[in-house]
Amino acid sequence: MPSFKLDGKPIPFEPGESIIAAARKAGVEIPHYCWHPGLSAPANCRMCLVEIKPPAGQRPIQLDVLSLDPKSGEYTYQPKPKLQPACQYPAVDGQEVLSDSSSHVGDARKAVQELLLLNHPVDCPICDQSGECKLQDYWLEHQKTQKRMRDEPIHKPKAVVFGPTIVYDAERCVMCTRCIRFMEEVAKDPVLDMRERGNLNEIMVAPGRQLDGNYTLMTEHVCPVGALTATDFRFKARVWFLRSVKSVCQGCATACNAWLDYDPRNNAVYRYRPRENAEVNKFWMCDPGMLSYKRAHEGRITEPRIAGKTTTVAKALESAKQHFEGVPREAIAIVFHARYSNEDNWALKELALTLLGTRMFYRSGGAPGTGDDILINADKNSNTAGVNQLAPSARPFADLLADIKKGAVTHAIALGGATPGEPETDLAELRNLKGLVTISAHDGPLTKAAAVVLPAASWAEAGGTYTNAKGLRQISEKAIEPAGSSQPAWKFLAELGKTLGVVPSWSKLKDIRARLLAVEMPSQPDVSAQAE
Amino acid sequence: MEPLDLELEEGELELPSEPMHLNMGPAHPAMHGTVRCVLELSGETIMKADVQIGYLHRGFEKMCERGTWAQVFPYADRLNYVSPMLNNVGYALAVEKLCGIEVPERCQWYRMALGELARISDHLTCTGAMAMELGAFTPFLWFVKARDMIWDILEEETGARLTHSFGRIGGMAAPPTDAFKELCKGSLERVVTLMEEGESMLLKNRIFLDRLEGIGQISGEEAVALSWTGPCLRASGVPYDVRRAYPYLKYDEVEFDVPVGTNGDNLDRFLVRLQEIRQSRRIIEQVIEKMADDGPINAYAPGVMLPEKHDVYTTIEATIQHFKLVMEGAKVPKGEVYSYTEGGNGELGFYLVSDGSGTPYRVRIRPPCYPIVGGLQKLITGRMLSDIIPTFGSLNMIGGECDH
Repeated sequence: MPSFKLDGKPIPFEPGESIIAAARKAGVEIPHYCWHPGLSAPANCRMCLVEIKPPAGQRPIQLDVLSLDPKSGEYTYQPKPKLQPACQYPAVDGQEVLSDSSSHVGDARKAVQELLLLNHPVDCPICDQSGECKLQDYWLEHQKTQKRMRDEPIHKPKAVVFGPTIVYDAERCVMCTRCIRFMEEVAKDPVLDMRERGNLNEIMVAPGRQLDGNYTLMTEHVCPVGALTATDFRFKARVWFLRSVKSVCQGCATACNAWLDYDPRNNAVYRYRPRENAEVNKFWMCDPGMLSYKRAHEGRITEPRIAGKTTTVAKALESAKQHFEGVPREAIAIVFHARYSNEDNWALKELALTLLGTRMFYRSGGAPGTGDDILINADKNSNTAGVNQLAPSARPFADLLADIKKGAVTHAIALGGATPGEPETDLAELRNLKGLVTISAHDGPLTKAAAVVLPAASWAEAGGTYTNAKGLRQISEKAIEPAGSSQPAWKFLAELGKTLGVVPSWSKLKDIRARLLAVEMPSQPDVSAQAE
Repeated sequence: MEPLDLELEEGELELPSEPMHLNMGPAHPAMHGTVRCVLELSGETIMKADVQIGYLHRGFEKMCERGTWAQVFPYADRLNYVSPMLNNVGYALAVEKLCGIEVPERCQWYRMALGELARISDHLTCTGAMAMELGAFTPFLWFVKARDMIWDILEEETGARLTHSFGRIGGMAAPPTDAFKELCKGSLERVVTLMEEGESMLLKNRIFLDRLEGIGQISGEEAVALSWTGPCLRASGVPYDVRRAYPYLKYDEVEFDVPVGTNGDNLDRFLVRLQEIRQSRRIIEQVIEKMADDGPINAYAPGVMLPEKHDVYTTIEATIQHFKLVMEGAKVPKGEVYSYTEGGNGELGFYLVSDGSGTPYRVRIRPPCYPIVGGLQKLITGRMLSDIIPTFGSLNMIGGECDH
């Protein structure tokens, strides 16, 4: 692999790669605003300028410029090399690049930084970006001086509504054009552009349009400063109080990697941020996905219920036991759910196989929606592939409703609340069950029809693995503490097993993870499949 | 409270055979700083003594390792709480050594002046309290009156009488007030007069002298072996003073003597402290002569120093600087440092480890009175019970710095 030297450190690169991209891969950050690894390189912010030594035998590109000699206090001519943007300049084998070690580069960064802050408003105390702003970070790293301009800064429009999700502040904008390029190159909807020149520059939405579609929130996330803010997150939290966990988006079967930001002080989730994964979502996420963090708090079931009335866990378990007394095993259906983790579904299957001995497997999940060719999958469940893999014999939800109608199924243990069909009709059919025990985090037809409901922890409140449409198993970490009496579904399944009179084979998440590894791709015969 | 270790031999029938066990402190009024002495007495003679510290332990070092580097200052104030300024400056010097910052000359002089004022207040408290515990209440009141004058100056300068939190990494919280030099000149004269009045009452008092002379004696070698420093070590004849041996700030540019004792007894420790007050006055007078009336007080170090408040409200650069320093803390370069100064009780050392973040990785303090209290047992064993009071008083144990 060819390599070049950055400040003396060898950096390998793929032919055609830019200096900044190769350095980023090697873990060295060259400061930048406009460059983004997933977008084109316009080289307009000038923050990533580096000094490139000429190849042996060649004359350096340089000019003699007047500069102050601090010793003599006089202005003398000093050679100054022509600096190059690392985001556009391709890496060349054997090339010598100076970044932090060059005083010219340091001066250039300082100057760029001073100019970017020249007309910047004193907004940090009221800016949502404060605490994760590149302008703040780079001031401390590369500038550390006051501005020399004494004039009143230029004033530009503030709080311009770009669309239903994004608000723009032109004064804070550094004109990196990342949002423009994102809309054009990734969202394929070139609705943003720039108008005016110099310090009157500002971002605008195409006349007659607004910034809408499924990928508007990404413009806020690519914005290196606080110019674009999300209506949803605006003034909701200060980022230094938030903690992040590696989560997996539950919005659709793509299962984008995300950071789930939460505040441990009030146990609340505040937002999703895209997490880089070249295999799944690269750097992006869609709007519905990013807003799906709200499901951690909305439509939740946090206390057990018997026939719709809130009760205690002990009473709910006792009631579940009574419901299953004397019921023939063949009449008990097991309903898996594609919005629950592999661990939860595995525990349900284990309970069914070892404790009840039933073979009546069905699968449920949320209703399908529309997809696109960027990220969004029409399957709105995060773990469809995982459920199919765990229980290949599970029949579709429609079969369950048919079996209920026939009277073949009278009782059921189900995970999750949502069903794939019309909620009203599904609910009416499910009400014909004599005993339905549902373990669910969210309300839905399966919980409304249930005789007993146990409150499961949501994906944000428990660790779990989810298999996406491509068959990738991804771990989502626990962020907040389970609300109310809820706890992970696999724990409730273990307790349900105990109540029904047997010792469950799992007690820790670790146990299940180890057993899950044994569940391989469909090539390996499934136990339940063999039995059929 | 743990039980006394009685070690009684049951077979013996001699009368009276039981040694008397006495629990002195931690709540005894003369065991200031909350120390417990478990004594085994034969009559009034101390046969065995067990000195137990830790009744004022707050986990100072661990508290420091939670916040930012700048948030250590209030904790440092509460180490030796009779001379907080010396702790403040000691900690600031340690962090500055790690950062490679040197504060402007004016600040160095200012730090010296404030530090010596704190030293005077420290010694006045110690000697005054010691006299009071021996029944001499009047000198105590006079000494405390003198100390109040020092505190008036410190209040004028810092806004607080006791816990100033006035040090900053790279400077001080505020420049000297316009009245500072006048205040020092005016007050020091009266402070020394008051001290001398109190001194004259004590040093002609037979009872006072009898309880000090030849009591709690320790030789120079023994004191060094116990790693004593400060006035207690100098009273034993070892002229070790950090200000003289390893000058910091501007101590090499002022003239002062290092008073030493000859016997290493309570009286010598008492006299050394009084002499040091006179030397501190000498130092302050020279500092006032040499300190410029204007000029910067803070080093130019935007990475650690907070910007001017006016700029924070009006310019984005200062807002950012303020935000980064307050929210993340000053990023102190990776490394470790041991920095030591002459505190009120001797060598006050700070051992700091930085992992390059805004929070100290490790803050370790070498409090001067920790080894000194370690020698108390040796000083009082074999002496009379009543000798504990002047001996303990002369050591100037300060719980805040000892228990760490």
